[in-house]
Amino acid sequence: MVQFVVDVLIRAVDLALIAIGLSSVYSLIRFPNVALVQYATTGALLALGLQMAGLPLVVAAIVACALVGIIAVVLNVVVFERLLRAGSAIAMIGSLALSMVFSAIFLVTAGPRPKRFELEINPPLRFLGARLTEHQLISVGISVLAIAVFALILFRTDLGRCMRATATNSVLASATGIDTRKVTNTVVFLSGVMAGLGGIGLSVKGEMSAQLGLDMLLPVFAAAIVGGLGNALGAAVGAVVIAAAETMVTNVNFGPLFGETVLFIPAAYATAASFLLLVVVLLIKPYGLFVAEVKRG
Amino acid sequence: MHKALLAAAYLALSGLPALAQEVVLGAVVPLSGASATLGDDQRRGIELAVDNINEKGGVLGGRKLRVIVEDSGGRAPSALDAAKKLVTVDNVPVVIGEYSSGITIPVGQYLVQEGRVHLNIGSSSGKIRSLGDGSFSLIGLDNVSTGFAAQDVVDNKWKKAAVIVPNNAYGQGVAEQFQKAFSALGGEVVTTVMYTEGQTTYRRELQQMERSEPDVYVYSAYGKEAATINRESFELSINTTPWYAIYLSMCTSDADPKFIQGQYGLDLNYIGPDGAVYEAAYKAKYNEPFKTSFNGYGYDAVMMAAAAIEKAGSAEPKAISAALKDIGKGYNGATGDITFDADRQRSKQPYLKLKIEDGVQQR
Repeated sequence: MVQFVVDVLIRAVDLALIAIGLSSVYSLIRFPNVALVQYATTGALLALGLQMAGLPLVVAAIVACALVGIIAVVLNVVVFERLLRAGSAIAMIGSLALSMVFSAIFLVTAGPRPKRFELEINPPLRFLGARLTEHQLISVGISVLAIAVFALILFRTDLGRCMRATATNSVLASATGIDTRKVTNTVVFLSGVMAGLGGIGLSVKGEMSAQLGLDMLLPVFAAAIVGGLGNALGAAVGAVVIAAAETMVTNVNFGPLFGETVLFIPAAYATAASFLLLVVVLLIKPYGLFVAEVKRG
Repeated sequence: MHKALLAAAYLALSGLPALAQEVVLGAVVPLSGASATLGDDQRRGIELAVDNINEKGGVLGGRKLRVIVEDSGGRAPSALDAAKKLVTVDNVPVVIGEYSSGITIPVGQYLVQEGRVHLNIGSSSGKIRSLGDGSFSLIGLDNVSTGFAAQDVVDNKWKKAAVIVPNNAYGQGVAEQFQKAFSALGGEVVTTVMYTEGQTTYRRELQQMERSEPDVYVYSAYGKEAATINRESFELSINTTPWYAIYLSMCTSDADPKFIQGQYGLDLNYIGPDGAVYEAAYKAKYNEPFKTSFNGYGYDAVMMAAAAIEKAGSAEPKAISAALKDIGKGYNGATGDITFDADRQRSKQPYLKLKIEDGVQQR
C-alpha cells in the first residue's frame, strides 16, 4: 500500500508541474498550448547538455529551467499572441505545429536514443516497506516545493491577485490598471519553468528521450481537464487522480478472477486508463472536477 | 562509332568502371537504435571476413568482394527501405541481416520474393523457418536456445520463473518455447510480461513480475532496453533474486556492471574449433576482446557466401543458393559446425553457460 502511494506520488508530481502550467496559461489566454509538453523535453535536453558541458546538475537544472521560461515567453510573443488574434482554435493548431517542429529539433540535436544524466545510482531506501531511491526522493521533494511556491505566488502575492483578476475578467482587470500582457507573460514564463522542471524530474528518474514530451501529452491534458481547465491547483489534484488511475490499473491482480496466481493488465495500457477516466469525468462533470471560472451569461 | 559512344555513355552512367569488377553483397544491421552496439559488432564480423577474402585474392578469379552495410535503425520500415535500396539500386545477390526477429522476418520475406539470397545472422524466432527457399539461418532458432535455458534453470533448482521479453516476434517465440520446455521439465512459469520496446522506464512491468514471487527472473532484452530493465531492477532491489539471461551478452552489452553482478545466462558459443584465428584477427583490428557474441555470425555469413559464389562460379542468386545448400553440410565456421536442416536452418548450435562476476562473463 505504501509502495502504491509512493508510485502515485512519483508519477503525479511531474505530471502536476506540467499540467499546472497548462491550466494557468489557459486561464489567461484561453487556449491549451500543446507545445508545453515539448518545453518539458527542452528543459531535460538543455539540462543534459549543460551537465555534459561540465556544470553540476543543480546549476544545470536551474539555468535550463530559466532558459525554457525565456523560450516560452519568446514563443508566446512571437507566435501565439499573433495567432490568438485569429482565434483560440488557430492558436491551438499552431501550438501543435510548433510541437512537431520541436520533435524534429530534438531528433536532430539529441538523436533517437534515450540519454541519462550522469548520476551515481545507489540501492533503494526502505520506507515503511516501500522502495524509493535517493534521486526519486530529492526530485519529488523539489517538485512539491515548486508547486507550493507557485500556489503561494497565486494566493499570497500581488502578481497572483492580478493573475486571478485577469483570468476572471481581463477587460475589467485591464480597466483597473492591471497590465494584463505583462501578467500573461509572467505566467507563461512560470509555466515554462515548471514544464522544464517536470521534464528534468522525469529524466532524472528515468531517461531523457525525444519522445518524452509527446508521451506526456495525453496524461497532462487529462490531468488539466479532469482538474477543470483553467484551475491551476485543480490540475494538481487532477494529476494525482490520473497517476492513481494509471498505477491502480497496472497493480490490480486479476489472477483470482480467472483461477491464476497472477494476472495483470500489461503496463503499456496504463495511459489508456487516463483516457478512460477522462471520458468518464467529462460525461459526469463536463467542466472538470473543479470549475474555475465564474460563468457569466 | 555509334556503338562506341553508347558504350562510353553506359560506362559514364553506370558509375566508376572499376566497380564492375567487384562482387557486391549487402547487409542490413542496426547501427542505431536500441541494438546499435550489437549491430555494430555484426558489422565488425562482416568487415573482417571481407578483409580476409580480399587478402586471399578475392572471388571469381581475382574480383574484389565488397559488402554494402546499411543501417536499419532498429525499425522494420527503415530496414525494408534499406533492403529495397540494396536490391534495386545496388542489385546485390545476397543480403545479410537483420538482428531483431521482428525486422528480419519482413526483410527476409521481401528478399525471398525478389529471388535474392537471405542470410539470417542474429534472429531466432521460429517463424524464420517458414520464410521460404533462399533464406538461410546461420544461428540456431528459439526452440534450440530456450530448451537449453529451461534445462539450465531447472539444474539450478529454480522452480518458479517470471519471464520478461520484448513484445515482438522474437519475444513471443522465446516466451512460448520457454514455457513449453520449462513445464515439460517440471517447472512453472508464474508470470510472463511482454514489454513494449523503446520505453524509457519498465518499473511497472518489473513490479508486476515481483508480485508473483518467482525463484528466478528469466529475461531476454535488447541492449539499451535491457540496460534500463537492469538498472530499475536494481533500484527496486529485485535483483536480489537470481536473473537468468537468454543471450547474456545481448542483455548486458550496454549495462553498468554494478547492476548485472551475479547474473546467470546462456550465450552463443562464438568460438568453434577453428575460430582462434578469427578471434585473434578481431582483437588485432579492434583492440578489444569480442564485444558481443554476434560478430562471428556476420563473419561466417560473408565467408560462406564467398565460398558459395566461388563454388557456383557465378554471382547469380539462384546458383549461390544451390551452392550454399551443398556447403552447409558440416561447414567449419568461426562459430563452429554449420549444418543446415531441410528448412535451411542451422540444426546444431553450441551454447555456453555463463555467470557475471565483477562485470565479466565467467564460464
